[in-house]
Amino acid sequence: MQASDKFDVIVIGGGHAGTEAALASARMGCATMLLTHNIETLGQMSCNPSIGGIGKGHLVKEVDALDGAMAAATDEGGIQFRILNSSKGPAVRATRAQADRLLYKQAIRTRLENQENLWLFQQAVDDLILEGGGVAGVVTQTGLRFYARSVVLTAGTFLSGLVHVGQSSYQAGRAGDPPAISLAKRLRELALPAGRLKTGTPPRIDGRTVDYSVMQQQWGDDPAPVFSFLGKAVQHPRQLPCWVTETNAHTHDIIRGGLDRSPMFTGIIEGVGPRYCPSIEDKITRFADKSSHQIFLEPEGLHTNELYPNGISTSLPFDVQMNLVRSIRGLENAHILRPGYAIEYDYYDPRALKRSLETKAIPGLFFAGQINGTTGYEEAAAQGLLAGINAALHAQEKESWTPGRNEAYLGVMVDDLTARGVTEPYRMFTSRAEYRLQLREDNADMRLTEIGHKLGVVGEVRWRAFEEKREAVVREEQRLKATWVNPNVLAEADALRVLGKTIEREYSLYDLLRRPDVTYDGLMTLPGMAQETATEVAQQVEISAKYQGYIDRQNSEIEQQAAYESMALPATLDYKAVRALSIEAQQKLNQHKPETIGHASRISGITPADIALLLVHLKRGGRTKAMEANDAA
Amino acid sequence: MRSMSGDFSRSIERMVRKIIELRAFVEATLDFPEEEGVVVVDERCLAKQLVAIRTDLQHISSLAKQGNILREGAQVVLLGAPNAGKSSLLNLLAGEEVALVSDIPGTTRDTLRQVLQIDGVPLHLIDTAGIRETDDILEQMGIARTRRSLEQADVVILLVDESNPVHIDYHALMDGAPRSVLIAHNKIDLASKPAGVRNEDGVDHIFLSVKTGDGVTDLKKSILAAVGWHREEGVFMARARHLDAIGQAIYHLSDAEQHIAQLELFAESLRLAQNSLNQITGEFVPDDLLGEIFGKFCIGK
Repeated sequence: MQASDKFDVIVIGGGHAGTEAALASARMGCATMLLTHNIETLGQMSCNPSIGGIGKGHLVKEVDALDGAMAAATDEGGIQFRILNSSKGPAVRATRAQADRLLYKQAIRTRLENQENLWLFQQAVDDLILEGGGVAGVVTQTGLRFYARSVVLTAGTFLSGLVHVGQSSYQAGRAGDPPAISLAKRLRELALPAGRLKTGTPPRIDGRTVDYSVMQQQWGDDPAPVFSFLGKAVQHPRQLPCWVTETNAHTHDIIRGGLDRSPMFTGIIEGVGPRYCPSIEDKITRFADKSSHQIFLEPEGLHTNELYPNGISTSLPFDVQMNLVRSIRGLENAHILRPGYAIEYDYYDPRALKRSLETKAIPGLFFAGQINGTTGYEEAAAQGLLAGINAALHAQEKESWTPGRNEAYLGVMVDDLTARGVTEPYRMFTSRAEYRLQLREDNADMRLTEIGHKLGVVGEVRWRAFEEKREAVVREEQRLKATWVNPNVLAEADALRVLGKTIEREYSLYDLLRRPDVTYDGLMTLPGMAQETATEVAQQVEISAKYQGYIDRQNSEIEQQAAYESMALPATLDYKAVRALSIEAQQKLNQHKPETIGHASRISGITPADIALLLVHLKRGGRTKAMEANDAA
Repeated sequence: MRSMSGDFSRSIERMVRKIIELRAFVEATLDFPEEEGVVVVDERCLAKQLVAIRTDLQHISSLAKQGNILREGAQVVLLGAPNAGKSSLLNLLAGEEVALVSDIPGTTRDTLRQVLQIDGVPLHLIDTAGIRETDDILEQMGIARTRRSLEQADVVILLVDESNPVHIDYHALMDGAPRSVLIAHNKIDLASKPAGVRNEDGVDHIFLSVKTGDGVTDLKKSILAAVGWHREEGVFMARARHLDAIGQAIYHLSDAEQHIAQLELFAESLRLAQNSLNQITGEFVPDDLLGEIFGKFCIGK
């Protein structure tokens, strides 16, 4: 068991946020305790059995670049790997995998159990110990007390979770797990601003009762890509296909017939659900003219028959669920293993957090994951990692770290959350990132691994691999810049084949690579130009050559913004004292207490004119009306 | 004439709406490639919409430029050899005595400013000291100011004494700046030449007499043409920074046209185009764009 009851960092919760937080804090050398109500569910994928996708895959790569577990665990547990958007450009290209729930969970568990400085303990947490306004530890359900300098809370949907199926509802953390009622009550007493959100899952189906012969089969990419920068395809277990079918007019009639008993449509559910992940009853109501909706049957694992029918998330009564499932082609005889349900849960307004994910109200207390109003394993893992890093830094009495919007999707997410809050469960999309062209999956390591190493969260194995890759990229770039192609030597046929036209003067290979239609692989087929280079190195060289112009332009945009980002707004500033500021702006700013001018500019309802007034106020030295009155007197 | 700035904002907002609609399609294609609900955009359709937006924006830009001329007016600098009659011309155009006039060359030692209107367009007419080598300190100061006025000029009128042409190398003064030049040949009554306008190498030469008034109407027309004024219906009152913003947006839209086959670069140019117009209409955040996408397409498996 644990060495004592004193730790540097305590993490509450063993989901994707909690496990990454605990692992990160322990990697940074902090004595860390992970408390979970059930060790068996550590690293559990409680919704769909897939990891990654567009925007989400980007987050997973960033977690990996900081030596987190998610990508590596997916490489070990993934049963189908695909690259999405491969033809639309490197910035929106993203990796996604179907994962075997058990293998994935096992991969996470193994990492947790073997992590130095990390202790696991099975106990639900009922209370926080507060001392001198800051957090000092936690109290478990049996009254055990554990002390730490930092506490990371990753309670997911467990805070006052309420599961709905039809008109009936019961309290739960997720179907099958108890909710955290006492802790939720305690947190409510602390008067942190809270709200209610909703999410849902589809009924699960027994694969033995499915007629696959009438469905379309969908395999992963061949060769299968890997998720982790350190991953190898040989780590992947046996691969499986997904199956595609769709709803029909009859299905929609069944659903419409059940709406009068839907907790969503009869107003029982108050929490706000996501626009991008609507229940099937939502979809047929909002898009009534669509006669069918696709359904992807995703395997839950290699050693189970359970299928996850992606596309029919529902909280309709069970008899309606049964009929709607059986109206679908190939599912006429389907047996439902678990009913679909909606779950409502508490979340805390993330505008009450600093960008380090520390609560503004209680020093040392960090929040990460779904509790902050996000949805998705990837969003949770990325926040967990960041909270773990900052909890460790806090315990070590060091300055916190948060990447900027131009450095990582993680930075975009945390800035969005803390500046704008949420109105629905927050999910990552690439369109949220204004500097999308530089926040790519392929360069997540280039963006983050070095800073991660400095912070102490990136271990030596990854650091050495990264340094090697980075040096290889620099070497190859230098070679391309120093290798010249002479028009007199280049055969016309080669020029037309590789460049599309002949050249009129000497060019370096690097210059040629910058042309839109010229590829690295093509250039290497020119006589005498080839050199053995790792694929990921060649890819890095090629993308940075082609995107340099755009990235330079974005950098100048970033520089303009940077001045605002570094202009600090004192936490003590009373915005009522800012001259000419509208009452609405005063209230919003007083409520959010933004950390910088840049942060303030992204608060919804704050206009460029308000920002100008703030700048004037800062220039005048933040003088208050009272001081002016004194001067006048 | 529409002079309310509300009309201008509304047309810009309309253009922003159109860009947002186009972006919603493009971003949905990028962020939700597997959603059957997302209409796949084909390149020809993208190009068509893009060109339509750019053309509309160019029209707005043209109307706004007219409005900007009405609002801000134009800087017109009068330049010429001493005693070519610059001050007399200024007085004639302004309809009153503002400059000290005499027959002694170099009487005008200071730059004189006069605001006048031609056809409703406000012109800041600046009379300068004549350009010539001089030992007179006062006049040298005037000449230094002349060079400074030139730097801000939209139009420069070179006044030449047609009865006594003196060679002065004005071209050195015209260097580089994007301004129109008119050459006014004064004192045709003394030179016994007819009034009228002749265009040589894209430069208007106007033959006139300030004394008799012959050819002065031609000069006024040429000035208006040179400041870019051409009566147009539905002129927008816009500020110079608005014109800059529209110019940037048009630039980014043209850039987008070059990248229709590379969707993420196309998307970037559209984002920048919208950012430019947002300088006029106010902030827009990615979440608003997502709202647009989710309103349009059935997304979510």
